[in-house]
Amino acid sequence: MSRDGVVYNRHRKKIKVFLICVFVALFATCVRLVYVMIIQSDYYLERALDLHQRERKIKALRGYIYDRNGVVLASNKTVCTVSVIHSQIKDKEAVINMLVKELQITESTAKKRVEKVSAIEKVKSNVDKEIGDKIRSYNLDGVKVDEDYKRYYPFGTLASKVLGFTGADNQGIIGLEAKYDSYLSGDSGQILTLTDAWGQELDKSGEDRDEPIAGDSLYTSIDYNIQSYATQLAERTQLAKGAKAVSIIVMNPQNGEILAMVNTPEYDLNDPYGNELDMNILNAKWRNFCINDTYEPGSVFKMVTATAALETGVCSLNDHFSCGGSTMVGDRRIRCHKTTGHGSQSFTETVMNSCNPAFIEWGSRVGTENMYLYMGKLGLLKKTGIDVAGEASTIIHKKENVGPVELATMSFGQSFQITPIQMLRAAAAIVNGGNLVTPHFAVKAVSADNSVTDFTYEIGENAISKQTSDTMRDILRQVVEEGGGNKAYIEGFSIGGKTATSQKLPRGSGKYISSFIGFSPVDNPQVIAMCLIDEPQGVYYGGTIAAPVIKELYQNILPYLYSSNE
Amino acid sequence: MAKKKKKPKLKYFDYTLLFVTIFIIGFGLIMIYSTSSYTAQLEEGDAAFYFRKQFIFTLIGFVAMYMCYKIDYHIWYKFAWPIFIFSIVLIFALIPFGSSANGATRWIRIGPVGIQPADVCKTAVIIMFATLISNNSVKLKKFKVAFVIFSLAIVQGVLIKVISDNLSSAIIVMAIGFLMIFVAVPNYSLFVALGSAGIVGVCGLYAWCSKIIKSGNLTSNFRLNRVLIWVDPESFSSGKGYQTVQALYAIGSGGLFGKGLGKSLQKLGYIPESQNDMIFSIICEELGLFGALCLLLVFAIMLRRIVHIAHNAPDLFGMMLAIGVFAHVAIQLVLNVAVVTNLIPNTGVSLPFISYGGSSAVILMAEMGIVFNISSKIKLEQ
Repeated sequence: MSRDGVVYNRHRKKIKVFLICVFVALFATCVRLVYVMIIQSDYYLERALDLHQRERKIKALRGYIYDRNGVVLASNKTVCTVSVIHSQIKDKEAVINMLVKELQITESTAKKRVEKVSAIEKVKSNVDKEIGDKIRSYNLDGVKVDEDYKRYYPFGTLASKVLGFTGADNQGIIGLEAKYDSYLSGDSGQILTLTDAWGQELDKSGEDRDEPIAGDSLYTSIDYNIQSYATQLAERTQLAKGAKAVSIIVMNPQNGEILAMVNTPEYDLNDPYGNELDMNILNAKWRNFCINDTYEPGSVFKMVTATAALETGVCSLNDHFSCGGSTMVGDRRIRCHKTTGHGSQSFTETVMNSCNPAFIEWGSRVGTENMYLYMGKLGLLKKTGIDVAGEASTIIHKKENVGPVELATMSFGQSFQITPIQMLRAAAAIVNGGNLVTPHFAVKAVSADNSVTDFTYEIGENAISKQTSDTMRDILRQVVEEGGGNKAYIEGFSIGGKTATSQKLPRGSGKYISSFIGFSPVDNPQVIAMCLIDEPQGVYYGGTIAAPVIKELYQNILPYLYSSNE
Repeated sequence: MAKKKKKPKLKYFDYTLLFVTIFIIGFGLIMIYSTSSYTAQLEEGDAAFYFRKQFIFTLIGFVAMYMCYKIDYHIWYKFAWPIFIFSIVLIFALIPFGSSANGATRWIRIGPVGIQPADVCKTAVIIMFATLISNNSVKLKKFKVAFVIFSLAIVQGVLIKVISDNLSSAIIVMAIGFLMIFVAVPNYSLFVALGSAGIVGVCGLYAWCSKIIKSGNLTSNFRLNRVLIWVDPESFSSGKGYQTVQALYAIGSGGLFGKGLGKSLQKLGYIPESQNDMIFSIICEELGLFGALCLLLVFAIMLRRIVHIAHNAPDLFGMMLAIGVFAHVAIQLVLNVAVVTNLIPNTGVSLPFISYGGSSAVILMAEMGIVFNISSKIKLEQ
């Protein structure tokens, strides 16, 4: 017999060696397993969770904006976001056709969205709820309709330039919406879900959920009735005078609460962009002239010059000035608007007549130093601190560059620029007893669980003496009763005020801003209002066209204000 | 009659091996259902799609195992050449009849059944080598003879590689032949030399790859890239390294005791076809280090029992057959776990008895039947 085919011990020994080698190899893999599954476990667990977990934001309900009486100025409405889930679509054609029909998008756009290989593809957001419901009723696989909130402004254009609007993510873009975004926006919640490799959420996996916290409601000082009446008035005036724009501000001179701020033309807050794409045009459309732009205040500023003159004691009510129709300053002749001259006038009469040569005299008596001092005291050299972003700064000569000619023109409100709100605040301080208020809209924020944040604003006391203020109120009353502001006079109400006709730069362009500031009642002013008419056609005297606007405003709102005060 | 009565008493049967085999196969079926049900539901509309197919193959496998157990293993001695030639014919049959999947032609489809010729080759090599070694055990001292025998495995390996582009199967076939010759050849020196050369080579390759990766000079060469991925899979995680990285995520997120059976997240499409070669990573994720080590322990018991049978086989042919089966299971097991844990570069090796695959399951179970038959021939001495 051959020795082949017989098992020898060497074979058995080798088998053992083989087995040991295999066990060593297996042991090596076990060591590797321990390393990966114990030592590197945290690392891989985290990476895997990163891969499996999807974070979905839950939007917080944005807080409402109310007027002073609880009228809702900004709210939310339900809208839908339509998305497609590529892996779930069964009938591609049907989905494309439905999207084209219901969402009014082009077929190529719909096709692109449907055919894109992604977990979930957003087709359109801010779709009306009715359309969303209709899409849902198609019951097509792979189409998802999510409900969402969108900002909604019940009154459309009302106070558009004050309220501002929100963007696609419900974030405030401009106006109060932007300024108080941190109160209004709330805290968004989130849902953490596990998904498969195609982005499908797993039903059975327990989701981690952080509930959103709704934003605070913002209560403003705006009075819906006054705001809407002022808007009508401004729109009517703009049309009647063929003006570029009309602004009306109504404020409480005692505490700076703004009851109305109108800038026509207003825009639709529910569609702030319209079809416009040019950002410059859009920014111009959204601008709040009263705050964002400066102008030469003109004769209204004579209140400040008169106040400075009385306060520093360089003038008294007994002073007289004789106007011959023009006056020489240095080598320049400056004319009065009444070229034949006003003749001899008392101090009060110079204000009533708004006589330029007289004010050049008063101004020169006050002097550059004190002129700047009182402009500063009346808040004209710095921003007012109003709670809307983008306030413009004063444009004025450096004090050391002011010569007699500059001082003379400044005395009647030219050769420097301020914002309308700055002028209104200065006027408020002059008539309210000398307190420099901070103009503002926001009064308080109330959270969902009713905790209240009151907003407080600085009031600078004794900017001017009470006595000067009393005197000025009386002078301004006479301006309305017998002087240049007589077109604002209303039988039975005590009103004070001052008119202005500002030339727009460059001078001689024939463009004007006509304005009027009026307050009531004279003894203890509760309301101060300003009207600015930008580039009126035809007659452009503030006393002729702006004063009647305030008169009409007061005719309607004074009875209303007095009745609500009682 | 008296003779007959005495015989069954002395007849040896390895119940441990039977139990362990059935346990692993049953466990494999459970894991196939667990790993494939989610994607099967999505893609085929039937959660049990893969499970059902594998279950049918397992039944066929049990029939094959029982038949091989009943047939005297010496019959394979006579059929060694025909089976070997048949396996080569099968490989060539891939050229006209093969169906492609993932760029490689590996399957011959007969109706609903797909056969991988590479699986048949593994058994053919085992039987062929057992026959030749038992015929030439004395002459095997000569290197030339050993090499001539080994060259048959090389021929098969080259054919598998060239025709079906299946490098891993080619390596396994050659490795089975090589290890059988290792057991048969009397000396060690050659193997020690080869082994140390191999270890040095692997270390050198790793160092070289690390250098390439650091230089950032990545090539488009497919094989080289595969090796580069091995060294630093996460740099390639969006491309060719995706599978490796995903497998590591699965293993690493298993922790000590796993997420629980059926609770893997990586099987939800993150690891494509997770019921195939990467099934071990899902086992790790669901059953944890504990479960994975238990499974490896059961495999170790199986291997130990096969070695025990080889050790006590009545003749060299039986011993070499059993060692061939041992080599087959051991190589695939070690390579699979090593690939899944990224110990070695990614190459498609299935986990024996567990990974999804019909012909592989039937072939392995038939081989186990042969081993059971060998065990029954062990003469017990009292």
